[in-house]
Amino acid sequence: METERLPAPHPRAAERAAARAPHRAPDRRHAGLGVLTERPVSLYAAAVLRIGYGLVYLVFLLREFPHRDEIWGPGSPWTPELARQLLDQTGWVSILTLSDDRAYFEACYALAVCVSALFALGWRTRAVSVLFAVVVVSFHGRAIFMTDGGDNLILLMTVYLVFTACGRRWSLDARRTRLRASAAATAAEAKSHHLPVGGKAGGLRHHLRASRRTLTAVLHNCGMLVIAAQVCFVYGSAGLYKVQGGSWGNGTALHYALNLDLFRPWPGLSLMADEHDLLIAIACYLTVLLQVAFPFVLFGRLKYPVLTMLLGMHLGIAVLMGLPLFSGAMIIADAVFLPDRFYRALGRLWRRMVRRAGSGKTTDAPRPPRALVPAQSEPAG
Amino acid sequence: MEESPEQSEPPPILLQALTSTAAALCLATALVHVLLVFLHVAPTNSLSQQYSRQVNAWVHPLFEQNWRLFAPDPESVNRQISVRTKHTAPDGATRVSRWFDLTAVDNSAVKHNPFPSHTAQNMLRRAWSSYLETHGDDDQPRSQRALMTQQYLTNIASKRVAAHRGGNFGAIQLRVVTLPIAAPAPAGGPAPAAAAPRPAETRYLPWWKVKADSHGN
Repeated sequence: METERLPAPHPRAAERAAARAPHRAPDRRHAGLGVLTERPVSLYAAAVLRIGYGLVYLVFLLREFPHRDEIWGPGSPWTPELARQLLDQTGWVSILTLSDDRAYFEACYALAVCVSALFALGWRTRAVSVLFAVVVVSFHGRAIFMTDGGDNLILLMTVYLVFTACGRRWSLDARRTRLRASAAATAAEAKSHHLPVGGKAGGLRHHLRASRRTLTAVLHNCGMLVIAAQVCFVYGSAGLYKVQGGSWGNGTALHYALNLDLFRPWPGLSLMADEHDLLIAIACYLTVLLQVAFPFVLFGRLKYPVLTMLLGMHLGIAVLMGLPLFSGAMIIADAVFLPDRFYRALGRLWRRMVRRAGSGKTTDAPRPPRALVPAQSEPAG
Repeated sequence: MEESPEQSEPPPILLQALTSTAAALCLATALVHVLLVFLHVAPTNSLSQQYSRQVNAWVHPLFEQNWRLFAPDPESVNRQISVRTKHTAPDGATRVSRWFDLTAVDNSAVKHNPFPSHTAQNMLRRAWSSYLETHGDDDQPRSQRALMTQQYLTNIASKRVAAHRGGNFGAIQLRVVTLPIAAPAPAGGPAPAAAAPRPAETRYLPWWKVKADSHGN
């Protein structure tokens, strides 16, 4: 967070450290960790994950508003007592089992809604991301028998996102940083010169800030690595297990999937799809192929058609099987593999569209002068 | 953002060492995590068997996951779960109700709904599948977990039947009809006889006592 500052170091320690330092080469890189420590990668993808999972969870909570007591509340058939018993057995923790009071539960639900919205907006992101993880872990653990693969993926991603700098782009935090930067630039211009904090204590503070920046970048990059690996595991293992099943091999698996009553919101549509044997068989093979191949296509151009096909597959699942939450979680996870330049182009397109839409109307708030968002010089986001 | 003052002096050794150590630790943790999660999700192999203790210790409970989505094969049956209730009058006379189809309620909640609730798609379905996992075919609970899933099923059924027709009952019974999905008609002809569905199976569960307040009325 921008608000935290490392405590100023003891001046004498700084002197001692400075006295010891000179014989070291000034431009030495941490051996072997070069790429990882230099800068946080894929900041836009991290922002997309933050916005995506924040919104998906918000929509989920609001969708289940009429059923909130039945799922997470004291009135659930999975009683607070049963939940506590299971949590004790598994070592899980949940804020929801702390009290059986209905009012306490309603407060937790309201908190969850607010935290999800703030997380999507990127307000004080690092702190809110921890709160969001606490919320998701708590709600998931309270109703573990209500969850499916989509919820599981949301849970994992939520935990991983805590370690990333997912609030650096497309967030309220980024907006505040930008405004502050342009204000500072104006102030510096007015003064025409600004003196840095002089002396060795200032030097050490600079070094501390630099190592904190490094560590934030490392943590972020490790988080993104784990997220990417996790998505590969989802597809890879789903594919590997399907290869073991006979019905995927003979191309009839989707016939059975389309005939499950609980996953057939539009029976007419499912029936129509089911009638095309050849199409079903092709879709079966394509599904397994895409899933198994997924980890291997990520490093080349081939990933764009594959990601597009997966997007189509998930949209199909969302509509045909009535699993929009699951599909949403998967689509957002796929978005981690799109590069920053894709998202920047998307941002430019968005701004152009907004401008074109805004030029029709007269009330367009004047935009503050844009300062480049410094990727490096801001402290941990 | 303030630019750094011109620094010619390098960072102090201790700080540099600490930073490097912390960075290396982060990376090592991430790699170990990835490795252990891989062993957890991959089909059982000799490596994951050898290190199952470490894998479980790391992965449980938070990172537990299973991506057998419609794999190895999708379910090839629909389950229809019904419940009936029994009321024992003070004079000892018992009255057993008609069957109430719980699954039909779920199905109709899903039908024509672009965003079905977890209560319809997951609650009864997963309660039943965990009952199957924890009980044998003889409905004898042999573990704490089995008792818990039995209690859960009882609560779901009694709450739903009570919400539907009210009631004053001391016990419930579940009936699970397993309806296999017919294999697809062979290509080239309709030939419905060839794709005749396997017969449905019906399983009656024992009568379970219901606590007076557990159905919420």
